[in-house]
Amino acid sequence: MKTYSVRSGLLLLLVAGVVGYGIGLGLDALAQLLISPAVQLNFSGSVPSVFALLFAVSAFFFGIYGYRGITRGLVWQVAGTVIGALFVTGIRALMGLKGNQLFGNFFFSEPAWVVGELAGVVSFLFGVGVMDDWMKWARGIDTPDHHEDEPGWQKYFSVSLDHKVIGVQYTFTALVLIAVGGTFALIFRTELAHSELQFLTITLRLFNQNGPQLYNTLMSLHGMIMIVSILLGVSGIINYVVPLLVGAHDMAFPRMNAFAYWVAVPAAVLLLMALILGGFDTGWTGYPPLSARAPVGVQMFFWGVFTAGWSSILGALNVIATVLRMRAKGMTAMRLPIFVWASIATSIIALTATQLIGLSFQLVSFQRLFGMGFFDPTKGGNPVLFQHMFWFYSHPAVYVFVLPGLGVISELLPVFVRKPLFGYRWIAMSSLGIALVGFVVWAHHMFASGMNEYLRVPFMYSTMLVAVPTGVKFFSWVATIWGGKIETPTPMLFVLGAIVVFLLGGISGPPNAMVALDLHLTDTYWIVGHFHDTIFGGFVFPFFAAIYYWFPKATGRRMNEFWGRVHFWLMTPSFLILTLTMMFVGLDGMRRRIADYDPMLMGDKVYFNLFNQDFRLIDVSHLIMTIVGYLIAISVLIFFINFFHSLKHGEVATGNIWNSRSPEWQVPSPMPVHNYEVPFEVVGEPYDYGLPGSKFIEFAAASADTTHQKHHS
Amino acid sequence: MSHSQDKSSMLGQGVFIFVYLAVLTVLEFGIAITFNSTPILVAVALVKAVLVVYYYMHIYKLNADHEGDESSYEYKSGTNRVGLWLFLISDSFVFGGLLAMRINLLGLSHPNLNQYLGLFVTSVLLISSFFMNRGETLMQNGDRKGFITNTIITFIFGLAFLLGVIFVEWPNAIREEITPSSSVAGAAFFMMTGMHAFHVLSGLIFLIIIMRNASRGLYDEKQYPVEAAAVYWHFVDVVWIFFYPALYLVGVIFK
Repeated sequence: MKTYSVRSGLLLLLVAGVVGYGIGLGLDALAQLLISPAVQLNFSGSVPSVFALLFAVSAFFFGIYGYRGITRGLVWQVAGTVIGALFVTGIRALMGLKGNQLFGNFFFSEPAWVVGELAGVVSFLFGVGVMDDWMKWARGIDTPDHHEDEPGWQKYFSVSLDHKVIGVQYTFTALVLIAVGGTFALIFRTELAHSELQFLTITLRLFNQNGPQLYNTLMSLHGMIMIVSILLGVSGIINYVVPLLVGAHDMAFPRMNAFAYWVAVPAAVLLLMALILGGFDTGWTGYPPLSARAPVGVQMFFWGVFTAGWSSILGALNVIATVLRMRAKGMTAMRLPIFVWASIATSIIALTATQLIGLSFQLVSFQRLFGMGFFDPTKGGNPVLFQHMFWFYSHPAVYVFVLPGLGVISELLPVFVRKPLFGYRWIAMSSLGIALVGFVVWAHHMFASGMNEYLRVPFMYSTMLVAVPTGVKFFSWVATIWGGKIETPTPMLFVLGAIVVFLLGGISGPPNAMVALDLHLTDTYWIVGHFHDTIFGGFVFPFFAAIYYWFPKATGRRMNEFWGRVHFWLMTPSFLILTLTMMFVGLDGMRRRIADYDPMLMGDKVYFNLFNQDFRLIDVSHLIMTIVGYLIAISVLIFFINFFHSLKHGEVATGNIWNSRSPEWQVPSPMPVHNYEVPFEVVGEPYDYGLPGSKFIEFAAASADTTHQKHHS
Repeated sequence: MSHSQDKSSMLGQGVFIFVYLAVLTVLEFGIAITFNSTPILVAVALVKAVLVVYYYMHIYKLNADHEGDESSYEYKSGTNRVGLWLFLISDSFVFGGLLAMRINLLGLSHPNLNQYLGLFVTSVLLISSFFMNRGETLMQNGDRKGFITNTIITFIFGLAFLLGVIFVEWPNAIREEITPSSSVAGAAFFMMTGMHAFHVLSGLIFLIIIMRNASRGLYDEKQYPVEAAAVYWHFVDVVWIFFYPALYLVGVIFK
């Protein structure tokens, strides 16, 4: 029996990384040799690095887990990528292409990389084993409804059909990606601390990019990796919580649920490959014509997002089917927990609109590969069309991010103020309202894009309409808090923080909706401040609240309260300073997405001199933003340490520690494999906290004993 | 699964719907080559789509009750049906996006394609849908052999459509200098037919699977896979009901 550990994983990571690097270096030299006799070893180039990445990641998981589950998936992905790319290269060689056309700057040519990456994704899915049951069904072989999972942490590294395991897998992957995307942000935030280029300079060469190009890539990937991370985090909470809230034993389609998670893993690998394969300088929006000219990295980006989109679509499908078909007895529409309503609203958007971003990226990819002129004006195409298709998803997508978060706020608030949720029906409908209005506001991102001018005014009004259902939520929250007995454990702190931060995001929104103002605010740091406020208030704070709140349900232990408070009190003020400063410099004309800025932008008065550098107002502002950026990173690091430490050493918490009425807290933690051993029936309103004698659920008569029924006031 | 109608009236309904669809297709073609009214073409396409969605894809089954308890096969099939329709809604946004792209780029014009070829491939797909419906109906009435015969015919017509698009329609367009890279009309044509052909291909794979498993008697009791493959096949047909006028009929010839 072999023992696997993180130590052997890291050791293998190092060894395989060096081996992959060497192979890549050799291949790079070989390709150069085929093109010209002069060979120059490119030590910081893309090809050695991409092989090092692929080999190292696979080897790391081999070390901690052995050749099964995720390791097998990753190895198959690497093999699939190489085989697919070699296949296309072979065909191109048969077509008579030679030298420069057969091999590009990144060893393989662009079509070879695209086919390779897609073959890699499919190979991953077969390798990890998520297709096994479906393949058996296609061959007419029946499989059991459920598969036994391994005990312990091992089950999280291979395919499981249990929605709770998948929920944890999603959440964990989301946290990993938050760390990656946050690191990217710290790198370019450090560069921005003072005007001029300090370390991302023109002379730097890394991954076939110079400093400013690397800045653009990091900035673009910060956006998209965070978006994917948020989508996975949203899916994580929904997956874990929704079946428990509606009293289902699992999701409606457990295999599709597993598929939706596992398809996101190769997508994350593709996004990292985008960084290494020459990067791309388009921002996360990938507008053509710039994206039609970017290096091959943009293809990794497009297809990575495309693949991650399937995760979102199929996950949403599953949620809707589960809620429609698998609710407990008596759980009528107006007795659904409010988080379920939010999940439904979010899933409607994810199910439908996601297809449009996939399609828009696919069209640009085909424009690059086959010369199809969708967005190429010289062939009669229309670049603005891309923006319409892109924002048709990407605006509603922000509601995909925030609606579950707002649902978490509404779900947790009554628990911690011991009062009924104010205006249940209104708040349930406001989620749907936001989702539906969200479909008709997309062009407010395009006021300055050159689209037809008559479109501006209707989109301005529809955008301002979003404030109505959102306002309903705020009124409900305030009225719920009003006169309540407020308790402030860590989850509640994050809920309150979310309300404040989201309010800031909310009131900085309407100015951008006004066409007249937006023409000045667009593409400035004002916008950056605005959307970081909405996303932190709508997703990040509630996400942390949800993790602190449901952590005991998943593990049977609770996270450390003191370090949770430190996390909150370090992150919240830092974050507020960060975004308010962003808006402040944005109003004075600081443009977003640029590696450097004019030191005189906010006046030439020198405030102080540090390391022989003059700090004017704009420099001071950026220095402050960089410092608080690091403070936020430290607070998240504290969260990570708390998270891992509490898994093993946290205070044991198996009961209803928050004194909640919600069904999942009426049974002991951690949750048993098939959820409720006896089904429950809904007999009352979900949020009647503090009303004497009211009951939300009753377990079936057979087990109406003392173990399940903890009285809730 | 209700057996409220007897076998012959169910089969008769399939024939009637097919006749309606065929007449509407001819009508559509006639309108296009005579006075070419876009609103009427859109209306005809909508009527055809509604007929297929209601009678061939029997969307009303989503409303079925008396499904037994949650562990019964009927109830699980109902859940699967909800899942399949949600997927089709999602998928239709891809095709809707392609249509929107085509409307934005080409407006009221279409590429200069061979009209008779277009009518021919459309008929092939429509006929395949008829046999698919017939096969499914027979299966519901316990006629496994009839099901397999009809599914094989469906498969042959489907394959003919796929090969016709790739090996006749595309080279034909390229001869007319409509290539993917020549103009937006070519780009839209190849993108839309390509995406549709990809779905036809996946539908054919599903047909192979259900034919093989049905011939081994696996679906004699548990028939949902047959229904799923059939509904998907008809969905591909519905897409073509919109793509055919969009690519061949609407407006003037693109220059």
